[in-house]
Amino acid sequence: MAKSDDCIHILQGLLVFGNVVIGMCGIALTAECIYFVSDPHGLYSLLKATENDDIYAAAWIGIFVGFALFALSILGIVGVIKSSRTLLLVYIILMLITFAFEMASCITAATHRDFLTQNLFLKQMLERYQKSEAASNNGNEVTKTWDKLMIQNHCCGVLGPSDWQEYTSAFRLAHSDADYPWPRKCCVLDAQGLPVNLDGCKLGVPGYYNSNGCYDAISGPVNTHVWGVAWFGFAILCWTFCVLLGTMFYWSGIEY
Amino acid sequence: LPTPPARLPYVPHVPPTALLGKVTATTFALERPHCVFDRHANASDAVWLAVAFANASATFRNPPSRADVPPYKQLPTARSYMTLETAAAAYSCSSCSAPSPSVLRVGGDTACRDLGRQDPCNGPLPSPGPYRVKFLLMGCRGPKAETQWSDPILLHRAVSPSTIDPAPTRRGSDVVVIASILASLGAVLATAVLGILGAKVWSSLCHQDLGTDSFTRRSYRTHHIPPALPQPLPPGCRCSPPGLCCSVPQPPAPCQRI
Repeated sequence: MAKSDDCIHILQGLLVFGNVVIGMCGIALTAECIYFVSDPHGLYSLLKATENDDIYAAAWIGIFVGFALFALSILGIVGVIKSSRTLLLVYIILMLITFAFEMASCITAATHRDFLTQNLFLKQMLERYQKSEAASNNGNEVTKTWDKLMIQNHCCGVLGPSDWQEYTSAFRLAHSDADYPWPRKCCVLDAQGLPVNLDGCKLGVPGYYNSNGCYDAISGPVNTHVWGVAWFGFAILCWTFCVLLGTMFYWSGIEY
Repeated sequence: LPTPPARLPYVPHVPPTALLGKVTATTFALERPHCVFDRHANASDAVWLAVAFANASATFRNPPSRADVPPYKQLPTARSYMTLETAAAAYSCSSCSAPSPSVLRVGGDTACRDLGRQDPCNGPLPSPGPYRVKFLLMGCRGPKAETQWSDPILLHRAVSPSTIDPAPTRRGSDVVVIASILASLGAVLATAVLGILGAKVWSSLCHQDLGTDSFTRRSYRTHHIPPALPQPLPPGCRCSPPGLCCSVPQPPAPCQRI
């Protein structure tokens, strides 16, 4: 039965290769999700304040799923080489559980991206930026995050400084419109953090204030985060699906 | 009788350049008038800005002297006031080259509103609603020249952020693709596992052979059986079961009579 033996060896080889790829992708998924959870752009407090931080939950799930995929791929390689029914059955069942978790992570990340609209950030910024309640810790975090965003990215508001003019806000309650048509952080600042030309900034003279909105600076990292978790996870799952089908076919052919 | 002030053809207006803050909720900007008052002004004259609600501009009367200038605080009652007292030389032709503020900002001084000084106060405007302005050249004996009234200037009115609807406008296509494909993959896998396990359980219950598979992979534990060499019997070997120890067939011993 040379031909059957060859087929078996080819199937074994493919399954081992498939599991190697799964193991490597598992490590990559873990590394990527750890990067996202570490929040290099400092946007977590904005999302937490809007109660829409589920994309971070999806990244946390991705960390553990990545480890699980790596461990299970080793188990799968051992089981395929030894042709052990027990090992492969354990492998299949645990892989199905991991598959379900990763499915949840991908769908969560993709779904919750849709909730992060411009209006959501606009409303939250207007209601919480520079809110002067001392007891509201959330408000302070939002203020600090927005200040950092506006200074680092040279932007103002969500769509532009006119956000502060079109809508009343917590900021407007604390600062008069004549002195602060928009926050000082929207002005072009010098090395000491003071506006270069305060009157020019208040009037809106081009060059003395930041005229573009911060939404791009927010949605860029959020999109990267979501695509990294959702689509990479989706690709891993498609590959895992094929490997699992092959493993089940191999398992059903093993007889004592 | 004092002579009526000369009417100049200049119309004050909001600067046409793109300045985001030229009209806000409590302030607005005006283009700085150049060379408008030079024919009538001398060194001691001052140019004032008269601000009135658009519907009160027709009833505005020029003050006969500086002491009668309506102050900022009377805006709600008198429906007009005068502010931005500036020396006429600041608007003369010779100062054209220095555009130091090339716009005038009306309403930019919050300190005089809060401290309640009586001097001409350029305080923020209390309501959005529309205003007309004109420049008035005041000399020692009263107004000498005035410009036309401007067009009505309407300030911004801000709305509450509760009118913002943060809900997403439409579901992204990403979600539909990912969810549908993953759900179908998961369903296929679950069905496959259940099917295979079910088939195995069914077959083991019915003791049927699945020899018709395309390949049967028998897992062998191979025993290596070395070729058997004739070995001398150890003394006292008892044949149990009979025939196993004795590798060399022995002729039957003659029966011995006791």
